[in-house]
Amino acid sequence: MKPGSVSAAAAAVLRRDLVLAWRSRGDMAMPVLYALIVATLFPFALGPDSALLARIAGGVVLVTVLLSMLLALDALFRPDLEDGSLEQLMLAPQPLALMLSMKILAHWLTTALPLIVIAPLLASMLHLPGHAIAVLVLALVVATPLLSLLGSVLVALTAGTRRSGMLLALMLLPLCVPVVIFAAGAVSAAQANLPWVAPIAWLGAALALILVLAPLACAAALRIAVDA
Amino acid sequence: MDTGFPSRDLQPHGQVIQPLGQSCALLPDSMMPNTTNTALLEARGLTFLRQDERVFGPLDFSLAHGEVMLVEGDNGSGKTTLLRVLAGLLRADEGNLYLDGEPLDRDRARGRMLFMAHHLGLKADLSPLENLRIASGLYGCRPRTTPANVLQKVGLQGYEDEPVRQLSAGQKKRAALARMLLIPAQMWLLDEPFANLDREGIALVNGLIEEHAEAGGAALVTSHGAVTFLHGTPRRIRMPA
Repeated sequence: MKPGSVSAAAAAVLRRDLVLAWRSRGDMAMPVLYALIVATLFPFALGPDSALLARIAGGVVLVTVLLSMLLALDALFRPDLEDGSLEQLMLAPQPLALMLSMKILAHWLTTALPLIVIAPLLASMLHLPGHAIAVLVLALVVATPLLSLLGSVLVALTAGTRRSGMLLALMLLPLCVPVVIFAAGAVSAAQANLPWVAPIAWLGAALALILVLAPLACAAALRIAVDA
Repeated sequence: MDTGFPSRDLQPHGQVIQPLGQSCALLPDSMMPNTTNTALLEARGLTFLRQDERVFGPLDFSLAHGEVMLVEGDNGSGKTTLLRVLAGLLRADEGNLYLDGEPLDRDRARGRMLFMAHHLGLKADLSPLENLRIASGLYGCRPRTTPANVLQKVGLQGYEDEPVRQLSAGQKKRAALARMLLIPAQMWLLDEPFANLDREGIALVNGLIEEHAEAGGAALVTSHGAVTFLHGTPRRIRMPA
């Protein structure tokens, strides 16, 4: 790859964010531990009735993953905005939206992927049957990038404001409702031995749409944030 | 030769732009490599407003290839804002900018302008070498430069693999200077490049700017102090308070 070419730049940004995440792996472990603890709280609160837990398991794991992702989301652009690396990224002769999608990809790999990995553990703790766990993981594989991309737009929009954490949650969670409905719908359909592909296909369609639009929106919003 | 400097030095708002001393552009063309008659960067009536309040302008100036210009002004006089407008990070409210004679917009500015701001844009958890590798991935690099050899040139040998977090303020600055040497931008916009540097570092910045100008590049350097460390007597733009 020639230095300065688009592919070299994309690789450099992706590599940089992955290395940075690895250097602070303690932060990376935080959402995973959070999800683990939250999912453990439900049996304590609701009692060890395995039929009840199995019925709510899909939804609990989905919401837990969503909240855990929200924890780490604020760090997506803020450090870069604060140390000036975002400006350097904007001044580079590369398509900003593509560079930002590399950042979002790195963020997904370092926050959502570990959550997907522990999701089967959480689900089996809550007595979700095996075939439904497989559907849950598939639903998460499609739903988490969707949440990362949705979240990235809102992070970019709130990046210029101070104390954006709570604002971000208030703005993002309502937008997550359709994602949760479709993902949980697929899991409960699988539990009831009904066809579950349709809700996942809907999620996939939404992902395709937002994959194209979110980086562009992020780029526009961050240009405004740098302006401020 | 006309330096491209507008004859309307006295601006409607009482702003005087003083061409002080002899600029490199007064040298015969033959002594200036890569020079053309068009100014590298030209601003006409450049004005920037923030919430309808004038931050600076209207400013008229032009910078030829091989020229270094000093932007002077007190704190808050809009020096940094001017540099950010030139870099394409902010949009000017009025006036026009030309790069090599053609209207400058954000997309044309990208990659041709180097902006060194107060925030150096270095990742604290990465080493200088890693930071420069990212820069070369994003911007490409000049012929015959590598992240390792520019670090040597700015005197950071031995610190290549230290995390930037552990470097002193001056060393961080040097790492940012190394990036200037690495990436192939013609126009340098340097915001307080002498801050945090020791005597040797100041000489280094001067040397780098001179070399860049000799190679046909141009630089716009801000300074809030009465003292400028730039060699010679560069042309000046004075930002009114």
